Amino acid sequence: MFDSISFLRVIKTGLTNFVRNSWLSMAATMVMTITLVIFSTLFLLFVMTNYSIKTIKNTVDISVYFKIGLAEEQIRNIQDSLAADARIKSLEYVSAVQAFEDFKAKHANDQLITQSLNELSENPLPATLHIKAARLEDYPQIAESLKQDQYANFVDKVNFEDNRLVIERLNKILQFIITFGLALAVIFALIAILVIYNTITLTIYNRKEEVEIMRLVGATNWYIRAPFLTESFLYSILSTFITAGLFLPVFTKVVPAVIGYVSPQAGEVFAGSLTSYIWMFLALFAIAVVLSLSSTLLAIRKYLKI
Amino acid sequence: MIKFENVIKKYNHQNALDGVNLLVHRGEFISLVGLSGAGKSTLMKLIIGEEQIDGGRILIDDVDISRVKKRDLPYLRRKIGMVFQDIKLLPKRTAFENVAFAMEVCGHRMEKIVKEVPKILDLVGLIHKKDSFPHEMSGGERQRVAIARALSHRPVLLLADEPTGNLDEVNASEVIDLLLKINQLGTTVILATHASDLVNKIKKRVITIEGGKITMEQEKGKYKL
Repeated sequence: MFDSISFLRVIKTGLTNFVRNSWLSMAATMVMTITLVIFSTLFLLFVMTNYSIKTIKNTVDISVYFKIGLAEEQIRNIQDSLAADARIKSLEYVSAVQAFEDFKAKHANDQLITQSLNELSENPLPATLHIKAARLEDYPQIAESLKQDQYANFVDKVNFEDNRLVIERLNKILQFIITFGLALAVIFALIAILVIYNTITLTIYNRKEEVEIMRLVGATNWYIRAPFLTESFLYSILSTFITAGLFLPVFTKVVPAVIGYVSPQAGEVFAGSLTSYIWMFLALFAIAVVLSLSSTLLAIRKYLKI
Repeated sequence: MIKFENVIKKYNHQNALDGVNLLVHRGEFISLVGLSGAGKSTLMKLIIGEEQIDGGRILIDDVDISRVKKRDLPYLRRKIGMVFQDIKLLPKRTAFENVAFAMEVCGHRMEKIVKEVPKILDLVGLIHKKDSFPHEMSGGERQRVAIARALSHRPVLLLADEPTGNLDEVNASEVIDLLLKINQLGTTVILATHASDLVNKIKKRVITIEGGKITMEQEKGKYKL
């Protein structure tokens, strides 16, 4: 479209416009920044809440403690019948011996426990079966069915850790974040479009004479339009960098803390990933460019007579 | 070079130009005379493609300008220089920068601009004012800078729409002398004016427009209305 000289001249003119209307430019950049901050916050809250729900869902399970001294074969029969149940996703069997070894290993440093274990003549720990359901809603029924008479001779205790209430609450929060956050983001996106539209309109008005002369001496239409697009492109770049700068500490400190609270081992994986930060940066830049260029094109179409 | 064939231009259903036929030859100097609102400016705006015709056709070097695409109009305008009564210089730029601006926006290299602009300013007799701002110059000087700007693309045609309208007699006659000089160097000039004494002094072809129609054509004519 341009040769390199014209390209440089267009950029220079765009920069000059930006500096000459510094107050307006700053206002436009600020509004765009606020919009991007809202988008980023929304994105982060969504990711974190979603992640928390997933993690907590994973912690829900049913533990079945078998009676001590039960034959392995009988346990296997029960395990097989449970495996046929479509509601059950996975079964994890921990034998009494294994449980004892695990317990010993876990408390290897605790002399008191080690000593008391050595005193024991037989294994006090039961064999256990950990059950995970395919769907969250199925847990109570599965737990209930394990308490029925047919298992009464074998099963000592059924332990069901019910985190469903927490999950439900988190789901509600997620729903709220999505609706409220999106509404807020849309409102601010519209405000940003309006402010940039006004700023560019004023720039066009300020440069009315110049544009008229450019047209008369034969500047191409793109040469006349491009400085305004450059100016709005500057708003996008600046606001993206400001937002990214503001979110760097959030990404390196706050997010790992929150994720770490929910599930300690996952925190570092999430926070350490520079890629997610770069992706967010690119997404913000794309949003900023789309918003500012569309409002600039609207202003140009309406007010720039070529 | 320019041919008007039965050209009609309407503003709000009123004919600003009503069946104009005109032939301009290369190298000519034409004075276009008539009262305000007679259609002189309209005729010029049609030549540079700023307004669209409503009937007939206009040929410039055998190209029908109503068929020139909007994005190609800038290239047509680079062949045609234009000056106005209100001069239209950029107030915050010097004489040199005003002329350079026209070359810049059309993509000329800086080395060429630095070489060419002084030559053009010399041609209009203002090389000594190259660093002056418009408010530091007289009206005539300002108009000559505008003419220099119009000449920066070495146009084949120069359109001057009431260039002396705001000038006193001395300044006006300086501007006319400059236009004559440019014409002698080979550029076709069309001068729209209603200053009868200037037209009488020029002694070149005169075309009179009244109510959107050409009412009189004279070789080496005088202003008669």
